[in-house]
Amino acid sequence: MTAILQALASGLALGAIYGLIALGFNITYATTKTFNFGQGAFLVPGSLVGVSLLLLAAGKPHWGNLAPSEMTLLSYGLATLASVAIVGAIGIVLYYCAIKPFVGAGGLNWVLSTIGFGIILQNAALAVWGPASIAVPSPLGNEVWRIAGAGIRPQEVLIAAVAISVMVGLDIVIRKTRFGKALRAVAFNPQAAAIVGINVEKIVIIAFVISSSLAGLAGMLIAPITTASVFIGLGVALKAFSAAIVGGLTNPRGCMLGGFLLGLIEALVGLWRAEMREITIFLLIIIVLVLRPGGLLGARSVEKI
Amino acid sequence: MTILLSRRALSALLVTTSLAFATPALAQNEIKIGYNADQSASGVAELGIAGLYGFQAAIEDINAKGGVLGRKLVGVVRDDIASPPKSIQNMNELIDNEKVAAVVGPTNSGNALAWLHIPQQKKIPVISHVATATDITARYLKEPQNYIFRVSMVDREQLALLAAYAIKATKTKNIAIVADTTGYGQAATKDLLEILALHGIKPVAIEKFGPKDTDMTSQLAKVKAAGADMVISGSLGDATAQVLKSMEKMDYYPGLLSTWGSINTPLINIAGPKLAEKTIFAASTTEDANDRAIALHKRLIAKHPNMPAFVSAAQGYDAVMLIAAAIAQANSTDGEKVQQALENLGKVQGIIKAYDKPFSKEQHEALGVADFHLAQWKDGRVVKVDNEIVKSLTAADLKR
Repeated sequence: MTAILQALASGLALGAIYGLIALGFNITYATTKTFNFGQGAFLVPGSLVGVSLLLLAAGKPHWGNLAPSEMTLLSYGLATLASVAIVGAIGIVLYYCAIKPFVGAGGLNWVLSTIGFGIILQNAALAVWGPASIAVPSPLGNEVWRIAGAGIRPQEVLIAAVAISVMVGLDIVIRKTRFGKALRAVAFNPQAAAIVGINVEKIVIIAFVISSSLAGLAGMLIAPITTASVFIGLGVALKAFSAAIVGGLTNPRGCMLGGFLLGLIEALVGLWRAEMREITIFLLIIIVLVLRPGGLLGARSVEKI
Repeated sequence: MTILLSRRALSALLVTTSLAFATPALAQNEIKIGYNADQSASGVAELGIAGLYGFQAAIEDINAKGGVLGRKLVGVVRDDIASPPKSIQNMNELIDNEKVAAVVGPTNSGNALAWLHIPQQKKIPVISHVATATDITARYLKEPQNYIFRVSMVDREQLALLAAYAIKATKTKNIAIVADTTGYGQAATKDLLEILALHGIKPVAIEKFGPKDTDMTSQLAKVKAAGADMVISGSLGDATAQVLKSMEKMDYYPGLLSTWGSINTPLINIAGPKLAEKTIFAASTTEDANDRAIALHKRLIAKHPNMPAFVSAAQGYDAVMLIAAAIAQANSTDGEKVQQALENLGKVQGIIKAYDKPFSKEQHEALGVADFHLAQWKDGRVVKVDNEIVKSLTAADLKR
């Protein structure tokens, strides 16, 4: 029983990260029918920029290990905001370099261009930070909280809390605000949106900024658990992409649901056999795609041929 | 006409430059020793860095005494960033372009296994001063000449020590194995199963996890359910740190034994200094092991205040000492002759011990289980473990 509770706690934290990145896929897909295949690489500057800022603030070189005393909730928060802003700005570069030349042109050029952009970003990070991983202490300390025998780390709670608030916040923004309306209008029909006076390109750029920022945020959130390194992004982003597909790429709530679902399945299957986790997840994806091609909460896609 | 001239000029230039490379006056007075090891990328990079410090210190010491065969030793250093293709490239470059007489390295067993055939074919002796895979020295054992030697821990031997300790320490005879899914982890699992079988023990649980996993609670839940009170981890330092963190989450602390990857600071950085003290691991030497080790440690720390793992510095130092002794004995830098000299060395004083016939045709390991001891982290330093269980271990316990 404790073991199951333990797996649930671990799965929720993991799922929150998947959901956060999956949401990034959703928001650009909705507006441009493209998304950033190199999203995993965006976690890398997300965590490394933040960690380097903290190191520099502590009077150390940009590369090294942080002592727990150099990490407070405030400094972590500020570093996170800064790294989210920087990764968001990289999102603008991504749009102009890898999306704009190809959007609406049909074909799959944007797939390769976004993968390529991610590889460029990852290798640039490799040149700056080197390949070793940096241990990052959690701003909330390293002790373990016990809930009915199951142990959970404060950082995992922080991840889940921040991720869920950001998801709920974005959900409200998309549904309630003028920007959200404009976003949905562009998603529904860009030409019509332009006719009624919406600056389509601006909305699209903002979508890419949000999407990249979410990856940056995810990178900073998981760094205290996984350590910060150039190689953290790929595996997580692949799971997040799967989460988006399972939940429904067109539906933001579906993406979040997909994230939590994958995180929980991963943890619970691990209880049975660790090596069956990936097999189960990808079998599930195939089954979902066969039964509901648009994902669990996705719109039934009607491709016109 | 102009084309012809410029071609001539070019070929003349090529001839002169190649001549210049062929007879560099300096190289006559130098003997180059290559160093090819990860010093920046993987969790064991620190062993490569400290190994380099030892390698350089040994070259300094030899040159201070007039070098070898009246020639100066020169170290040629390459970082393979833990990547097999880069390691292979370094190896070709060191042998073909730099014309090294011998190579010390690498840190990652996988990289060694990727390029072993190169020095073997080109007849350049290699001493592995870090990489531990059992197969490294064994692959060419049946060849007329095996060019691969080692002054490091050997997985099979260090696992034999861990298994012997686990069997003495367990109260319930319930021993479990946790290992990552990499080649390293799986080879360790296989070795452990065979060694435990020699003791007549079958592990109660064998659990795997991915090399990048951060949460092993579900695997450990099964280990706990199986009633294990001793767990042996066959993984690198980072993964062992994550195992410890998951144990902390579950508030489940069986005895955790691990391989010498735990000697690296990622263990202490990821798990934190207190938690890191909860694993006991195998080591060939520690900075307080003997007077020579204390002296070398003092000297290296003065020069490199942040020097991590001392153990590989000692191994790197001893590797160079053995190569230098072999070149002197062979009275040549010819790879074939140096290889034969290595197999017939007499007494050589090293840091870890005084070597006496360290290698032979069948034996390419300078260190064995009898030279190893157990260590653990205490207040941020690696110290020797000297408890009742260690004292009760006899040669008969070290089955392998």
